[in-house]
Amino acid sequence: MPFNQKPQKFNAKINTVTIGTGDKTVTLGGNSTFPFYTFDAPTVNTPKVGVEISDLGLEALPEGAKAYYEGCTTMADIAKKAAAMEGADFVALVLEGGDPNGEDKPVEDLIAVVKEVADAVDCPLVVEGCKNVEKDSTLLAKVAEALQGRNVVVMSEKEENYKAVGAAAGLAYNQIVGAESAVDINLAKQLNVVTTQLGINAQNIVMNVGTACAGYGYEYVVSTMDRIKGAALGQNDNMLQMPIITPVASETWGVKEASASEADMPEWGPQDERGIDMEVMTAAADLASGSDAVILRHPQSVAAVSKMIKALA
Amino acid sequence: MAKFITIGERIHCIAPAIRDAMATRNPEPILKRAKEQLDAGATYLDVNIGPAENDGEDLMKWAVQLIQSNFDNVPLALDTANKKAIEAGISVYNRSKGKPIVNSADAGGRIENIDLAAANDAIVIALCSAEGIAADNDERMMHCQNMLERGMMLGMDPGDLWFDPLFVVVKGMQEKQMEVLEAIKMFSDMGLNSTGGLSNNSNGMPKHIRPIMDSAMVAMCMMQGLTSAIVNPCDLRLMETIKSCDVFKNNTLYADSYLEL
Repeated sequence: MPFNQKPQKFNAKINTVTIGTGDKTVTLGGNSTFPFYTFDAPTVNTPKVGVEISDLGLEALPEGAKAYYEGCTTMADIAKKAAAMEGADFVALVLEGGDPNGEDKPVEDLIAVVKEVADAVDCPLVVEGCKNVEKDSTLLAKVAEALQGRNVVVMSEKEENYKAVGAAAGLAYNQIVGAESAVDINLAKQLNVVTTQLGINAQNIVMNVGTACAGYGYEYVVSTMDRIKGAALGQNDNMLQMPIITPVASETWGVKEASASEADMPEWGPQDERGIDMEVMTAAADLASGSDAVILRHPQSVAAVSKMIKALA
Repeated sequence: MAKFITIGERIHCIAPAIRDAMATRNPEPILKRAKEQLDAGATYLDVNIGPAENDGEDLMKWAVQLIQSNFDNVPLALDTANKKAIEAGISVYNRSKGKPIVNSADAGGRIENIDLAAANDAIVIALCSAEGIAADNDERMMHCQNMLERGMMLGMDPGDLWFDPLFVVVKGMQEKQMEVLEAIKMFSDMGLNSTGGLSNNSNGMPKHIRPIMDSAMVAMCMMQGLTSAIVNPCDLRLMETIKSCDVFKNNTLYADSYLEL
């Protein structure tokens, strides 16, 4: 009997969200198939790759990445170099220096960094908070204000601060809201519900549903993303049709496989390579599970993952 | 599995306000009831214009256009014994939010409504009865088979026949309730869709009792595989029960605000 291919058709699609302005924009979502199921329907918008930079500069970067940014002395230099990275679609600025348990930089200092980066590049921007919900409430509201007109993604809107962050980013300053939950499908949906109940258009929301590094409870990430795409497409659940942006680097560069030095673990081989492997594997798995964009740190990871996307999508 | 489909029953010419509105083509009372039901979460709205022997075609066209143009082409069930009126309604019906439902055919005198649905690419509610309520489930399933075959012979997708077991009243037919529930399971096992006027079970009961009985009934029916019901969506307890059962059945992903969706 000949094989009769029957495409899986859904009467639903992931929302289309465009980040940035002018001719330098990226568009996420719009697809009505599972990830890379090009045999069911052509991909409308391929997944995108963002380059993560930090207000803390280059110090924490792996050696290979440091080498890439060599000669950069200001945040503006770093941002320009990140935007120029092969395979980069957007730049993601993480304001980790704002963390009260870390450097605890004042909001004004961080906003100065945000402005410096935004002025240096005209590519689409994503801004992440400092991981402290209270600080982020103030900080991200100011970020949304400072970047008015740039149509950026303000990430790190969480259950605890969705009113402050969502209202500022989504209502007052017309940015895209990044609703963040930590590998919890019910909370991911709930956050979208309450964010839209603030009056924010569902088309102006993206999700960060969380990730883990491959090998670190990663199967929960797969089932979460899978279930979300299944509900979005199969059940036409409009509270789950927001595109997913996944910050990968912040998870993968902290695990021992990436952080143990070669001196401590000679049998594991060069540290940089291990870190790149962890970052690429996790990003590939996130994309195959349903992420519409990933945020990476190492130039080699960015190049490899964007190449994979071109080959598959 | 798809979410349970509710068909709002409150645009019905037995209600004096609606009968008057239909006779005088007064939009307000009809739009008011349409809005109430949609706000309460109805998916489809039933438009019952009665026998409408005189001006049925004109009336159904008017009602379909009135409701669809005011409520973003909400899908409708066209409910009348007048076949020409149903056809007239379908001729002006906008399908962007769902096919029209022909309400209804049976295995007796109204079997030709299946032909009508087939000819117009519509869904049809197929009552598993011929002359009077089926005596038992053997008879119910015979009617079901007959109507299913007729629809499929005419090229219908089996999913477009929504089988109605005929809900019966507890006060008088209490011993028949489990039989109705078993019929739903049989439809479901055959992969068929089903629906029905579920609140029939509580006919004649005190007003405060009916939502309780209807909610219990819908929960049991959904367990058996019922895919839709013709209900009063303004019954909050009933709608909350349906949404909760949709969660248990994994038809919709749970979120703390699920009752507000």
